[in-house]
Amino acid sequence: MRFFDCNTYVGLPMNPPPGQPARPGVSAQELLAAMDRAGIEKALVWHVAQRDYDPLAGNELLAEAIAGHDRLAGCWTLLPPQCRELGDLDEWLARAAAAGVRAFRAFGQENRYLLRGEALGDVLSRLAAGRRPLILSVGKEWQALYDLLGEFPELTVILADLDCWGTDRYFRPLIERYPNVCVEISGYILDGGIEAFVGDYGAGRMLFGSGFPAAYHGGMMLALAHAEISEQDKQAIAAGNLDRLLGEVGP
Amino acid sequence: MISDSALAESFFRHGRSDACPIIDMHGHMGRWKGIYFPRASAEAMIHTMDQCGVRLLVFCHHAALFCPDIGNAASARAVRKFPDRLRAYLGVNPHYGAALAADLAGFDDNRDVFVGLKLLASYHQVPWDAPAYEPAWRFADQRGLPVLGHTWGGSSLDGPEQVRRAAEKYPNVRLLLGHSLHGDWGEAAAIARDFPNVYLELTAVLDDRGVLETFVAAGLSGKLLFGTDLPWFDPHHGIGAILSAEITDEDRHNILHRNAERLLADVGAKPN
Repeated sequence: MRFFDCNTYVGLPMNPPPGQPARPGVSAQELLAAMDRAGIEKALVWHVAQRDYDPLAGNELLAEAIAGHDRLAGCWTLLPPQCRELGDLDEWLARAAAAGVRAFRAFGQENRYLLRGEALGDVLSRLAAGRRPLILSVGKEWQALYDLLGEFPELTVILADLDCWGTDRYFRPLIERYPNVCVEISGYILDGGIEAFVGDYGAGRMLFGSGFPAAYHGGMMLALAHAEISEQDKQAIAAGNLDRLLGEVGP
Repeated sequence: MISDSALAESFFRHGRSDACPIIDMHGHMGRWKGIYFPRASAEAMIHTMDQCGVRLLVFCHHAALFCPDIGNAASARAVRKFPDRLRAYLGVNPHYGAALAADLAGFDDNRDVFVGLKLLASYHQVPWDAPAYEPAWRFADQRGLPVLGHTWGGSSLDGPEQVRRAAEKYPNVRLLLGHSLHGDWGEAAAIARDFPNVYLELTAVLDDRGVLETFVAAGLSGKLLFGTDLPWFDPHHGIGAILSAEITDEDRHNILHRNAERLLADVGAKPN
């Protein structure tokens, strides 16, 4: 089974989670070694400095980290353009593509803006037009997410880091209403959840993610490998769906 | 795959391992208000256990903790339907003293069902050292029973201070710290080292990478118990995390079954 991890980061967090190893972050080389140990072929990576320090500096650190590693694709973090921090948006997106960036992230709470059209319209319309995925760590901000998708129903959004304490009643309405919304499974550890989702919606909108290095690689690898769905569906979730989404990204 | 261990290879290939018959020491059962559970019935949970190589589940039905009108009868019915696969904790709701007294009075006549008690103080909003819990603590202490308590770092109801106080006051209780004082990992390890009858249960611990290695490095391989909150969490997720952790296969056997086998044998509830 071939795994393409859509939720992993490199770099050292500002505040290591309590109880985690002395070195809770990893370099690109260390990530690749851990992927080899686990049996993961490729990963879509962000840099933790994008969230903990500054999106622009983090984006550059990410570009440096993945340069020369063809098993690693990148995520950059966006900002609202009104403060002119990204410069010309089309040039910024071109630089991202040249750096191996295939998807984007947004941290509205940390970067102090609202995930709304007034703030992000110019950026998100470009993402939607180019079918560039936006990966969002959902947390408890479901109201904001519902509002965002109401404004940008064509946006490709990957809901990541789902709270393990039950999220189906939050995300299923979005799956049913918006055809380009997908679910990443690192936090979706509900017993029977993969089978129920695939039974109701098919396998095309669920993506394997590990949450490494904050989480172990093996948890959802084992859960997916032995989910009671077809081998074809497992492979789609493990890697095929992300291959397809990234293959659709336009210039 | 997952890691370079022989046990990992067996689980990754087959989904379970005959050499590692898992005992899950923290389960529930039935529907619950806050979460959609695809597999909440006893039958569906047994199916999951079969898929994951879980030999025995010790659980407390949601009704026993959240619905006093139903109470512990729901757990008893399930155990008697699947006596080779299930045992139960008697759920303690501290707000209903008469019902608790009746349940405790009947405990010894239902040892085929119940192996110990279950506390959920954070949800019931009553601290462990409240008088309402005292009959349950005394009962368990007199019999040396396991008590699985939901524990959470920073909680004034079932946090480190309450746990330490209970461990000192009731030394015969086999005290299972559900969720291992989640987030307060250092204090959990310290308490487990200080008290011979305190164990760390791993539900919702295994989604944080590194905690398991911290506990094992603290010399606690023999005091860690596997748990899933089933039907909340897929056992394969927890098993996969344990297989990923940088510990030995001996540690993995301890966590996944040996420690629980020893604990249950000590209280006369050894699985078949």
